[in-house]
Amino acid sequence: MEQFIYYLKVSLLSIKRAPLPYALTVFILSVGLGVFFANATFYYQLNSDPLPGKSDKLFFPMTLTPYDCNDCRPPRILSYSNVQKLAASDIPSAQAAMYSSDGYARLTIDQPPTPVVIRITQRDFFQMFDVPLLHGSVWPDDNGHHQVILSRPMALKLFGRTAVVGESLLLDDRNFRIIGVLDEWQMLPRLYDANGRNHLTANEDIFLPLETGYDLNYLSKTNSQTFDDTDYRQLATEGRVGALHQLQYWVQLDTAAQQEDYQQYMQSLAEDEKAAGRHPAPINNQLVPMLGIVDYFGDDPGDIKAFALVTLLFLVVCLFNASHLALNRYLSNQYEFSLRRALGASRSQLQLQMLADVLLMTVFSLLGALFIGYAGVSLMNALLPQNSLFSTWDLTLITALILAAFTCSYLVTLYPSLRASFGSLNQQLKE
Amino acid sequence: MITLTNLSKIFRTELIETHALRDVTLQVNEGEFAALTGPSGSGKSTLLNILGTLESFDSGDYLLDGKSIKGLSDAALSQLRNEKIGFIFQSFNLIKDFSIYDNIELPLRYRGLKAAERKQRIEQALELVGLHARRDYLPAQLSGGQQQRVAIARAIAGRPRILLADEPTGNLDSLMARQVMELLEQINQQGCTILMVTHDPDQARRAGRNIQIIDGQLHDSTMYEPLATQSA
Ligand SMILES: Nc1ncnc2c1ncn2[C@@H]1O[C@H](COP(=O)(O)OP(=O)(O)O)[C@@H](O)[C@H]1O
Ligand SMILES: [Mg+2]
Repeated sequence: MEQFIYYLKVSLLSIKRAPLPYALTVFILSVGLGVFFANATFYYQLNSDPLPGKSDKLFFPMTLTPYDCNDCRPPRILSYSNVQKLAASDIPSAQAAMYSSDGYARLTIDQPPTPVVIRITQRDFFQMFDVPLLHGSVWPDDNGHHQVILSRPMALKLFGRTAVVGESLLLDDRNFRIIGVLDEWQMLPRLYDANGRNHLTANEDIFLPLETGYDLNYLSKTNSQTFDDTDYRQLATEGRVGALHQLQYWVQLDTAAQQEDYQQYMQSLAEDEKAAGRHPAPINNQLVPMLGIVDYFGDDPGDIKAFALVTLLFLVVCLFNASHLALNRYLSNQYEFSLRRALGASRSQLQLQMLADVLLMTVFSLLGALFIGYAGVSLMNALLPQNSLFSTWDLTLITALILAAFTCSYLVTLYPSLRASFGSLNQQLKE
Repeated sequence: MITLTNLSKIFRTELIETHALRDVTLQVNEGEFAALTGPSGSGKSTLLNILGTLESFDSGDYLLDGKSIKGLSDAALSQLRNEKIGFIFQSFNLIKDFSIYDNIELPLRYRGLKAAERKQRIEQALELVGLHARRDYLPAQLSGGQQQRVAIARAIAGRPRILLADEPTGNLDSLMARQVMELLEQINQQGCTILMVTHDPDQARRAGRNIQIIDGQLHDSTMYEPLATQSA
């Protein structure tokens, strides 16, 4: 240990000898790592599992194709009547249909309205996606109720406090009772909303029962399809019977046996529908696991992937540059390697010295990289506010970043110092 | 203690091969003070570096204390270099931003000696070269002769049995050169074997033995037992 502190001191001395090239090396490495860190943050959050331990039990069933086609997928959104057919199965441990809509909320008619995003869904939703309740409870059943559940930020925004169960609010100027308030909750990525890039956005503000949403003519704000010319703005009267597709549907299947049974159920259902003439396309059922949903629909944000690749290449370029600078530094100190060898330092002792160099380089470039990475994340948040959800650093990420900094410092130091320490020994000492 | 048999060294570059040493056979006994002379480029430094295990050789053998150094690992060679051999160079090779004390400490660090032991040896070496008062100076604050004495202190602090000096007085004026020579003689009298490259005929004469190298070949002016009669 004492010896290693000595190595660190020697490293510091050799930095002091030529501080400018060293600072430049650290700077280049910091920029490369910082830009990489900023991007890695997004990439990591984007690809993380939002419900570890549970995500493999949640599935998106795709079946019942109401149009004729060859080799095509069933629609990713379902009609109300098809949801009813699926919901008739008691194989899943939980199941919920859902969609989202827009509205305006206020407490009294003379207040200015606040725009809100509404998730219109069923009671199992909260249990399936581990949504934490701070106050109150969810709806007692899946019938229509003039009862809403608020997100914590929305409760704070409307009331200035969270304990508001039993209070009322006006949603699009209709009166609702608040029966629950959520705790702090942000599922990332928000995979239950498998629609375009919705999984990258913030959670909803208000939760409304599905039946009530239909009764009050709330149409989906993201994705809906019709296959006839009914006027579906009359959701309350037409929506439940016609071919308006706007519902996403999730089931929880805990065991492989359940999953197999459910596949079988979907198959029978599709065959029945086919027999009834409501399924013109060939049967092509899919039970898509939650973690595969983004890939399955091809909603993968390709630009973020491309950007990740670019920052990785940039890091490699920075590594080459930093390594080149470090090589110059070591070559100008090479006589010192030869001298140390002549005085009896073994290669492994020189490598310990190198490790001290690496550690110092890691510390400096990590500090620089965290700074630049933080600035980069802030900049991206300013430019793309919807990405700000993905800018949090957790322990795993920080650990990975430290490892990345160490690896890069090691690579930058390794080649130059090996070249210097394995070079011709005596050459430098002769003259 | 040193036995070279038919030792050859060839430097190969893309363009040329240089036969730096050809069939060198040499025996150096414990306690000798030998001067190595010869024209520039004749292979003196190469010979010294091979003796110091800093350089490999192409054929022949090198026995140190009766044991061949061929096939020794890097760690073993480093240890041997650290414990048995001290180096002195023409250009001193002190580390500029290390104090005198820290410079002398280097080989002791690599040997893994405890702090107290290091201190005692450094002070003893400083005492011997007469620079005890300057222990905290930087090399640049000393004259050339003083710097070379620091280098000598560094070489002997590990109490080596062989001292290899490559033109140690080449960069010094005659007064300082004489001081360094006297110091080396003193060290030799304490039992340390010294091989010294020099261009100075006076110095060569003062050494007990004069070995001449011309074009990589040895012309030893001193008598030594032919190797053929020695046990292998
Ligand atoms: N590392 C090396 N690579 C190639 N040639 C070398 C190397 N070191 C020495 N030489 C050559 O070997 C010969 C002997 O060199 P050297 O031992 O330095 O001579 P001296 O010390 O007697 O002046 C010279 O011709 C020199 O150019
Ligand atoms: Mg020479």
